[in-house]
Amino acid sequence: MDRRMFFKKGIGATILAGSYLALGSRESLFAWGPQPRPALPFDLVAVRGGEPEVMFRKGIEALGGIKAFVKKGQRVVIKPNMGWDVPPERGGNTNPKLMVEIVKQCLDAGAKEVYVFDHTCDDWRRCYRNSGIESAVKDAGAKVAPAHTEGYYHDVTVPAGKVLKRAKEHELVLESDVFFNVPILKNHGSARLTASLKNLMGDVWDRRFWHGNDLHQCIADFGTYRKPTLNIVDAYYVMKRNGPRGVSVEDVVTVKAQLMSADMVAVDTASAKLFGIDPMDVPHIQMAADQKVGRMDLENLNIKRIAI
Amino acid sequence: MESLKKIRVVVSILFFLLLTFLFLDVGAILPALVSNILASVQVVPSLTKTLRLLTFTSLGLLVVLLLTLGFGRVYCSSICPLGTLQDIVIRIARRNRKRRWFRYKKAPFLLHYSLLAVTAVAFVGGSVLLLNLLEPFSNYGRVLTTLVHPVIVLANNAIAFVFERFGLYSVPTLSVRFVNAGAFLFPVVFLVVVIYLSYNYGRLFCNSLCPAGALLGLLSRVSLFRIVIDEETCTECKLCEKVCKARCIEADTKRLDFSACVSCFNCIDVCPSVGLKYESWWKEKAAPAVEVDQGRRTFMNAALASAMGAALPRMVSNDSLATRTPSFDESRRNPIVPPGAVSVEHFSSYCTACHLCVSVCPAQVLYPSFLEYGVAGVFQPKMDYSNGSCTYECNLCTQICPSGAILPVDVPDKKLIQIGKAAFVKEDCIVITKKKDCGACAEHCPTKAVKMVPYENKLMLPELNNDICVGCGSCEHPCPTTPRKAIYVVANPVHLVAKKPPVQKLEEKVEQKEEFPF
Repeated sequence: MDRRMFFKKGIGATILAGSYLALGSRESLFAWGPQPRPALPFDLVAVRGGEPEVMFRKGIEALGGIKAFVKKGQRVVIKPNMGWDVPPERGGNTNPKLMVEIVKQCLDAGAKEVYVFDHTCDDWRRCYRNSGIESAVKDAGAKVAPAHTEGYYHDVTVPAGKVLKRAKEHELVLESDVFFNVPILKNHGSARLTASLKNLMGDVWDRRFWHGNDLHQCIADFGTYRKPTLNIVDAYYVMKRNGPRGVSVEDVVTVKAQLMSADMVAVDTASAKLFGIDPMDVPHIQMAADQKVGRMDLENLNIKRIAI
Repeated sequence: MESLKKIRVVVSILFFLLLTFLFLDVGAILPALVSNILASVQVVPSLTKTLRLLTFTSLGLLVVLLLTLGFGRVYCSSICPLGTLQDIVIRIARRNRKRRWFRYKKAPFLLHYSLLAVTAVAFVGGSVLLLNLLEPFSNYGRVLTTLVHPVIVLANNAIAFVFERFGLYSVPTLSVRFVNAGAFLFPVVFLVVVIYLSYNYGRLFCNSLCPAGALLGLLSRVSLFRIVIDEETCTECKLCEKVCKARCIEADTKRLDFSACVSCFNCIDVCPSVGLKYESWWKEKAAPAVEVDQGRRTFMNAALASAMGAALPRMVSNDSLATRTPSFDESRRNPIVPPGAVSVEHFSSYCTACHLCVSVCPAQVLYPSFLEYGVAGVFQPKMDYSNGSCTYECNLCTQICPSGAILPVDVPDKKLIQIGKAAFVKEDCIVITKKKDCGACAEHCPTKAVKMVPYENKLMLPELNNDICVGCGSCEHPCPTTPRKAIYVVANPVHLVAKKPPVQKLEEKVEQKEEFPF
């Protein structure tokens, strides 16, 4: 190849790559819209008294089994809370046993791929490792994806948002067929409570904007963007104070509970009650309910309670 | 005898590759033991660390000094990464026919030893500036972390980008460290100078500017084994002089200046007879004494160094917790030095700015400075919380530092070292200015030195307890206020000990009143 040819080819390749990058806002490239949702027999399932994996088995069975949610060949993304460099017993991150069970069931149901990620607060490698989640779900067959640099996130609009109009969402969520939101229930210094609505803050890049522009409203706004296929709130270990990071195991009580619902507001309302605070004292839950993200009136919902 | 060169080449390539990898180990896969061995055999940092601790903690240094006393400057030929880098340049130069051979040139002893004397006096006087600027290991480290690391990052990210298109996430992306233009330019200039010198004059840097070379040259004058020309078997072919990159063999007079010899063994390898011998000194006559005429010069240099020490004070101001006025200038703050660094004074007196800590810091919070420590502490790293915060459970920098600037600290002890204190400017806080909840600072604080307490209208406001603050920057980094951070860390010029976070039992350990309270 002579020099002129080289330049021609080089320029061609550059234009090609450049246009891909320029047009490549993932929104346009990937199929994205409301996913078909199964009609569920219950609005909310609450399980209490078992190990995390046992409670999940009972709960998902009550909702019609994992196959009601995961179809053969689908791409599943599970978003736990693994944002902190603390071991499982500190209650800062989702229980790895629960994560493993979900991954296994998804793969058994024929999922093509199961991804796990979180935009961590502490150093991401240490969080992934010390939460116990990375090695556990990898062994179970899931892929663990990084989320520590801006490149993994793509612009999305939040049409129903009051304050949060735009966000950068992790590409895996954008590309997912099934999206499980699996937070751990805990105290939170400013959000009051971490459950399903708050956990979605780990999907986005610029959290500083949320903190600087009415945290509760932003959490509620992002709830309007996309509803996870199912929210599974891990309340096995519950951090009662010093959240979201906690200082020692003395901050944690063993509650042994799990809550599941497709409705983030309902599951967070129940979570607040389980935690022992009035849901009305958690501003973002109420704001989300006002924005029709879900329902706070548990008394009118069809709830399945399972004691093990 | 002929295999000496082969051994040297193999060992030097091994050290060169491993040391290069050490600085560019973006995946943190090199075991700690290997990193520590590699760092501990580096003469200058190991020496400063040993002098600092006043015990022989560095086995690596002992090994290198004994090797030199036994066999000459093997450090220069086999262990020093900058030495091997020069050898690579020399090899390239020799392939170019014009620069095929070397000729003897008397090494500039006066310059070299005067520089060593000034460097030593300055070091004793508390300034590592000259070590910092001339020391080979640190300079090599800076070249890698400043110039090569970004290339590795870009290459890695290109691979990660392609993988990502196929749904593969096994290669995580990395971030480039952006450094000050001055901190960027010096390694460039240094590299150009070293390449120029070695291309044209062989190992001239090692025999004129390098403090490690000078020091080891002193020792090699009395080393047990040394290379000598055997008058009887020498065929006067002068090949040895032509391949001597240290240019220390004068074939005409059959003299070899072993103090300038870097023990590369090229001469022995090339000698067609057995004209060169590597033998124990008691077999040969006592080496001619080197004329020492430096008394006056050394005195002058000492004076110069003291003057320098006075003229270039490190920037330690005493208003450690000065309240910030609206015109507060971020750059006016004392630099925050990492846990184990004892104090700004201590850190700046020992750090040769090799940037090994910068390259191992997982949070990329340790950053090369430029003039933040004053001219005397140029390039020494500092904590920069705009990039991240110090990982609470991490002590990697304290384990890797070869110079004793950051002393080794175990994780439990590290978690109680207070490198600075948080300062909170309520008037800048989102909760006050916007009347909305935020709490980013308290959320990330590992000790709960920043805690959210009830404020008006059900809002929560940060409250500080600096007794348990470690100064990690977990509050400052995520704080969303602009242009100034409402909460930020003010350096402790001398590190203090923080109190342990209080641990109280929860009153109600288990709440089982109702199984399902809804």
